[in-house]
Amino acid sequence: MKFQFDSVQQMLEMAGHGHYVWTAVLVSLLVMAWLLVRPLQLHRANLKFIARQLRREQRRQGAGEKQQ
Amino acid sequence: MASNRHWTWFYRLGSPRWFYETTGRWLPWLWTLTLVLLTAGLVWGLGYAPQDAKQGNSFRIIYLHVPVSFLALAGYYLMAIAGAIGLIWKMKLSYMVMKSAAPIGAALTFLALFTGAVWGKPTWGTYWVWDARITSMLILLFLYLGVLALQYAFHSQESGNKASAILALVGTVNIPIIYKSVDWWYTLHQPATIKFTSAPSMHIDMFQPLLLMIVALYSFYALALILFTRAEILQRERKATWVCELALQAGKDSAGEAG
Amino acid sequence: MSNVGFTAYLKRDLLLSYRRLGEAASPLMFFLLVSILIPLGVSPDPGRLAELAPGMIWVMALLATLLSTEGLFATDHQDGSLEQMLIAPQLLALPVLGKVTAHWLMTGLPLTLVSPLIGLMLSLPSVAVVPMMASLAVGTACLSLIGAVGAALTVSLRKGGLLLSILVIPLYIPVIIFGSAAVQTAVDGFNWLGPLAILAAMLCAAIALCPLAIAGALRLVSSN
Repeated sequence: MKFQFDSVQQMLEMAGHGHYVWTAVLVSLLVMAWLLVRPLQLHRANLKFIARQLRREQRRQGAGEKQQ
Repeated sequence: MASNRHWTWFYRLGSPRWFYETTGRWLPWLWTLTLVLLTAGLVWGLGYAPQDAKQGNSFRIIYLHVPVSFLALAGYYLMAIAGAIGLIWKMKLSYMVMKSAAPIGAALTFLALFTGAVWGKPTWGTYWVWDARITSMLILLFLYLGVLALQYAFHSQESGNKASAILALVGTVNIPIIYKSVDWWYTLHQPATIKFTSAPSMHIDMFQPLLLMIVALYSFYALALILFTRAEILQRERKATWVCELALQAGKDSAGEAG
Repeated sequence: MSNVGFTAYLKRDLLLSYRRLGEAASPLMFFLLVSILIPLGVSPDPGRLAELAPGMIWVMALLATLLSTEGLFATDHQDGSLEQMLIAPQLLALPVLGKVTAHWLMTGLPLTLVSPLIGLMLSLPSVAVVPMMASLAVGTACLSLIGAVGAALTVSLRKGGLLLSILVIPLYIPVIIFGSAAVQTAVDGFNWLGPLAILAAMLCAAIALCPLAIAGALRLVSSN
């Protein structure tokens, strides 16, 4: 196996097809990255939301007990 | 009873908590595997594979286009099977997997179309051609979007799941019919024979990185699916004790980090 | 087998449609009106119209069927007769088939019968008229069955109509491909029985499988 290009410049240009190849690569990587980042965001947001709900309930329960 | 013991692995599989905790252990390995495979595949395909005699370097897009198309189609079947398991065994986790598979599949189908279009321009001179494969991919995208739309159209989570599962199954039966119909339609109307080099007639040096990329995409899909499903589990099981403990623990951890 | 079966629901739906003939006729009206749009929007030149006619007639028939599919289960859902259908002891597929057949009789069949007139307006070659009627008759039956699946899935939703279109059009595509191909093949002078046979096969498969999907979807709605 040999490296097909003589320089980074050549690799970016891809003998005139550079725009097409690198656009395809970039968009693909962006979408794929989103598919990995988005669920992590959701995961963290869900945990935060649940924790907040719990604290609110605990506070409410605590207040209820004090009233009694 | 002996029969119960045989099925426990199946029912354990259906426990969201088991899934969450087990995949939690696998995640670091899966991340590593996915990133390594993707990097290796892309570097090999983009840098080391020989260019095509007719298409030149634009053919390198195949290293993204074909794997992504594979997974887009395979992902639909996975979604439908998850839906079927949910309908038959009423397994919540299966519905969660189905729900997670939908956006991933739709995004990959979009990518298949996009990379195909970008590849088409230097190859055939136009971004869009109504050939059998591209048209079928477009229809697949709409099948995915339909499942997604139906999922969120219902107030009740359970109804949305069941409706999406039925739609996914109906779509599954139709996919081969749609592909064959569109294929037949295209050969009927085809103006000139434009066929791009299909995998089997490729030189081995070009084929190997393609195989690697396909494996890499499978690993990627598994990773994305697990991540989405885990987030979904938290949301759906938020009343469960183990989730509450997890959330409070995570809250303490992040507070500890901030402080 | 009596009043929860196929014939009972067939008669019932036909009677209901007959009482609201105006509504029942709207797919037909749509079909006729849209066929006026084609020459106005494209060109009145007979040559160009003849080229487009097979496909355009089929597209218009598809859209007209799609429009009327939304109401297939809607009224029953609203007045509670859907529940009655679900709790009946008989196989749910029977009333479902009765309703869909009635729908076809009120939508697909009129479209088929009117299509020679449309063909005349769009300069369809006369050799294609019989193939067109045959393909429409068989094809619209498929469309009614497939559309009913979508209608059952979306019956309890408020803005169900648009969603129905999104769900159902990908599934309609094989039907329109072979439907318009039957007509086009006849225009080109070849044997049009091939595509028609495939349409007929699709209809057989649809009659066998769609009622299952429809019944499943309807039960889901009732437990919503």
